[in-house]
Amino acid sequence: MANNWAGPSRRLPENESSIAYVQMDGLAVMKMIKHSHEEATRNLEIAQGALLGLVVDTRLEITNCFPFPKHNDDTMDEEEYQLTMMRQLRRVNVDHFHVGWYQSADVGNFLNVPLLESQFHYQTSIEESVVVIYDTQKTTRGFLSLKAYRLTPQAIQMYKENEFAPENLRNLKVGYETLFVEVPIVIKNSHLTNIMLLELSEMIPEEEGSKFLDLGTASVLENQLRCLMDRVDELNQEAIKFNRYQQQVLRQQQDKNRFLVKRESENAARKAKNESPLPDDDINKLFRPIPAPQRLNPMIVSGQIQTYSQHISQFCSQSLAKLYITQALQNAKEGKSTP
Amino acid sequence: MSRFFQQGSDSETETSSEEDVPQRAPVAAFTFSDEEEDTKRVVRSAKEKRYEELHNLIKQIRNYRKIKDMSSMLSSFEDLMRAYTKAIPVINKEENGVTPRFYVRCLVEVEDFINEMWEDREGRKNMSKNSSKSLTSLRQKLRKYNKDFEDDLAKFRENPDQGDEEEEEEKEAQPDSDDDDDEEEDPKMTFRKDGSESSAGASKFAKKAVTDDDDESDDSDWDSDPESSSESSDPEDKNLTLREKFLKRTTDKEEEEKKEKKDKKDRRDKEKKQRKDDEEGEWETVRGSGAIPSEKPKMFAKDAEIDLNLVVKKLNEIVAARGKKRTDRREQIKLLHELWNVADAHNLGPAIAIKIKFAIVSSVFDYNPKFSEAMKPEYWAKLLDNIDECVEQLLATPEIMVGEQVLEENEILDKAPYKVRGCILTIVERLDEEFIKLLKECDPHSNEYVERLKDEKRVSHIIDKVQEYLERQGVSSELCRIYLRKIEHVYYKFDPEVLKQKEGELPPDTVTSVQVMEKLCKFVYAKDATDRLRTRAILSHIYHHALHDNWFQARDLILMSHLQEAIQHSDPPTQILYNRTMAHLGLCAFRHANIKDAHNCLVDLMMTGKVKELLAQGLLPQRQHERSKEQEKIEKQRQMPFHMHINLELLECVYLVSAMLIEIPYMAAHEFDARRRMISKTFYQQLRSSERQSLVGPPESMREHIVAASKAMRNGNWSACKNFVINPKMNAKVWDLFHQAEKVQEMLSRLIQEEALRTYLFTYSHVYDSISMATLAEMFELSRPIVHSIISKMIINEELKASLDDPTQTVVMHRSEPSRLQSLALQLTDKVHNFVDSNERIFEMKQGNFFNRGGGGQGFRGRENFGRQGQDWGRRRERGERAY
Repeated sequence: MANNWAGPSRRLPENESSIAYVQMDGLAVMKMIKHSHEEATRNLEIAQGALLGLVVDTRLEITNCFPFPKHNDDTMDEEEYQLTMMRQLRRVNVDHFHVGWYQSADVGNFLNVPLLESQFHYQTSIEESVVVIYDTQKTTRGFLSLKAYRLTPQAIQMYKENEFAPENLRNLKVGYETLFVEVPIVIKNSHLTNIMLLELSEMIPEEEGSKFLDLGTASVLENQLRCLMDRVDELNQEAIKFNRYQQQVLRQQQDKNRFLVKRESENAARKAKNESPLPDDDINKLFRPIPAPQRLNPMIVSGQIQTYSQHISQFCSQSLAKLYITQALQNAKEGKSTP
Repeated sequence: MSRFFQQGSDSETETSSEEDVPQRAPVAAFTFSDEEEDTKRVVRSAKEKRYEELHNLIKQIRNYRKIKDMSSMLSSFEDLMRAYTKAIPVINKEENGVTPRFYVRCLVEVEDFINEMWEDREGRKNMSKNSSKSLTSLRQKLRKYNKDFEDDLAKFRENPDQGDEEEEEEKEAQPDSDDDDDEEEDPKMTFRKDGSESSAGASKFAKKAVTDDDDESDDSDWDSDPESSSESSDPEDKNLTLREKFLKRTTDKEEEEKKEKKDKKDRRDKEKKQRKDDEEGEWETVRGSGAIPSEKPKMFAKDAEIDLNLVVKKLNEIVAARGKKRTDRREQIKLLHELWNVADAHNLGPAIAIKIKFAIVSSVFDYNPKFSEAMKPEYWAKLLDNIDECVEQLLATPEIMVGEQVLEENEILDKAPYKVRGCILTIVERLDEEFIKLLKECDPHSNEYVERLKDEKRVSHIIDKVQEYLERQGVSSELCRIYLRKIEHVYYKFDPEVLKQKEGELPPDTVTSVQVMEKLCKFVYAKDATDRLRTRAILSHIYHHALHDNWFQARDLILMSHLQEAIQHSDPPTQILYNRTMAHLGLCAFRHANIKDAHNCLVDLMMTGKVKELLAQGLLPQRQHERSKEQEKIEKQRQMPFHMHINLELLECVYLVSAMLIEIPYMAAHEFDARRRMISKTFYQQLRSSERQSLVGPPESMREHIVAASKAMRNGNWSACKNFVINPKMNAKVWDLFHQAEKVQEMLSRLIQEEALRTYLFTYSHVYDSISMATLAEMFELSRPIVHSIISKMIINEELKASLDDPTQTVVMHRSEPSRLQSLALQLTDKVHNFVDSNERIFEMKQGNFFNRGGGGQGFRGRENFGRQGQDWGRRRERGERAY
């Protein structure tokens, strides 16, 4: 068993080294953002799309992307669409290697079963693929939030076995924190683009920059707290479910023991009468093992709670910092005005 | 109708037994007709009748089968089953309990047909929903039903041929009789048409009748002369099949018959002669089965001396025809009128006049064959006149005793303490019901309705008079009934004098409707033996009080009666009355500014969204076969006539406004409460549906106004709220319907101001450190003492964490209320706490011996468990070894 555990841990570093960081082109990022915001404002749905690029050493370069069509369109075959799309992109000399996919999300709700599943499929078919999560809400508040994730080998192993019983998860040492590995993202623009950006930045009027002090605390925090509360509730339900399962198992175990004792005394009596003892094999029939609850969902919920908590603490520290800045500015202003 | 019909058939048999008496009463003129009628009607013995019914139904079923009309087939089959159960006694007698073959045959045929249909899946799919439904139910019914006849069916299936001939014979016989009927009908028809040639027609008809008699002997199924019907009950004949009975004619029977025929002929001849003597020759006008001459008749022979007996006899004669199938009801009414005139002309005394009047009234009631439909207006007018006269006469002649307990034989019509059978109370009750039916029939928005409604006065008047009459007699149970009738005519009417009296404009000794109600109801409370009347009286009483703003009396009555608990056990009309009463109670409470009570009264009515049905003011549109036809009919009968309706919009508006006045401050106070409950679901629905709209325009309907007002009130904007609730549009729609509209509006605006103030304090108290009461009073245009009292109340009820600072006249907030974010955080900690608890429980379990079954736990405890398990294994192994 110890060998088993050692396996993945040994593999882990070499796996990490396969892709050290993700380098995204400005074009791909902009396209992705555009698509995500269109979806979010139109019908509050998540946007998904494919990422195209190349693997260079330990660097994954994402140079282009295209959106997946909406599911409600039955007439179109999705795979067909992707293939034609890539073929046509190749014709215009764009990188056409499928290296992953992207999805829009609000705060931390991206973590769910479908995402895990599709990333598993991606990673089993294309070793280097990543999923890029783009947070629309946070971006609208002024923080561009792009995160690239890869499944950890344990998670892949778990999915391969397709067993989510508590035993399995424990043996694999998979927890919510070890489902995904975050890969750093670097955005790289061509020189021409950089020049263009510099030119543009000169055109921004100066007083526009004061908005960064906007606290906006209450509504954002409230929102996040509400979501967090929902998640905690859900997790609590799961915990109760698990607890109930434990009790059942315990009760069954007691019954079984009682039965065994009884059987033993019976057998002793039979033995005294020189009869053959009763067989033991009906025990398993009588006490069927109770199926353990699936642990995948609680794990995902825990992951969500974690992201929410991270977001909240991040937000709070930012807000605190802003408050200090504001105080300093205020003092400076007062100091300026008094003399 | 059917009741009367039943009676008719009873009398039929009676007359048939009388047949043997050669000559009837000397009032010769009618005997001929009666005779004729009898020979024709007697023909049908009980058995005959039942069998014919069965045959007809079977024929129908066969026809439906041909055209595959499943739903009609189902209903016919149900009829057939019913007819058969009716016929069972006869069958038991006639056939020794053996199921008649034609019936079994029909069952078999239907079964085969149904099975065939059932197998035909394609066909079934193509069937309309209705007919496929009928098919399934018919199949089930048939299966169940055929179980009773299993033996017979099996027997039949063994040799089905035997039945066929029989059947055919039957069929042959059937049209014959039909033809015969037609023939007989025809001359009469012609006869009726040309009344001028009456004498000629009469002789023709007489001849015809004779020939008929001759035919009779040949007719195969014409066996219902009294002889053969008595024959058929002979024990030896019992086992004969129907057909044999039809056909079999023993010689002696024939002889007997001939003799009988001869008798009859003789008789007829005699009568003819008599008729000729009677030179007028007008008495032959006879219609086949009814006892009523179709020709406009003279009641009595010209020279007959008209006395009481004669009139009574005549009356009985006419009444006897009542309810029979071919009786012309219109004719009957006319006849009775004639008779009344005759009686009146000869001055035969009030008793007979009343008796005839009763007969007229009941025949007018009978005129309408369907109970569920209203009578025609002209008959209604006639009915009113007659009853009016009747009651007048009863009142005028106190020596007449009318009652149901007087038997037909004990009637005294000729001398002073008259006794007449009949019940004026029942008649009046029926009249009232008819009146309501009549009103329901016509369109409530037409002039016709108004015209009809004018009769309300007359009906009330009649009821008053009957009440007077009954009071004279003093039977308390009857008095209770008539009082209740009166109550039901009074309780929903608004009497402005009551309010005038309250304000002292009228002296306190004037009798208003409230006093009348009080008196009547108290009598009913004291004297009534049946619970139902008392319940209805109480409800009407409460209704009346509520209508006249006697809030406290109404409330006390309803609380004392404890009707709320038991009302669901009473009959639907009483429940409807209860609903109506609650509605008015709610309105009354609203007028008295008891918003909570108003809300509580109305909430049960409004919650379901079926107010219309609950108040019996119309049926909801039918949803997918939710109710059957009969149910709908019954529900229609329960509906209230339009002039008794309660305005639903007013009701809903009052409910919504009271819900708003309660709910909005509550919502503001409990904004962060996780366990907040809804006070009014309906109100919430309205709010939510408006929130769902992407664009909210200016309010149009009453509901939109209320929703807009609620939104304004949420922000404490009382003037906007008031303008939404009270404006010309809403006045026209709702508020003007109240008796004193200005007063209600005034009350309402004051309430809105107060509640808006409360809402404002709930919503914005966290913004303030302190707030001056003067400002508040100014903001809400309330006087300072009122503001003071409202805030004090809130502080006492711990709704507002604040204290009053008297010298500065300000409210100082205590800031103990957490902000929204804080309360959310608190909730979160609660939840996390819960979670930690359940997690700990899991952990505790783990520390116990949970993981001993997983094999190889970690840690000290795990190892311990493992050890124990190892022991277990060891023991078992030991045992195993020993066993082998």
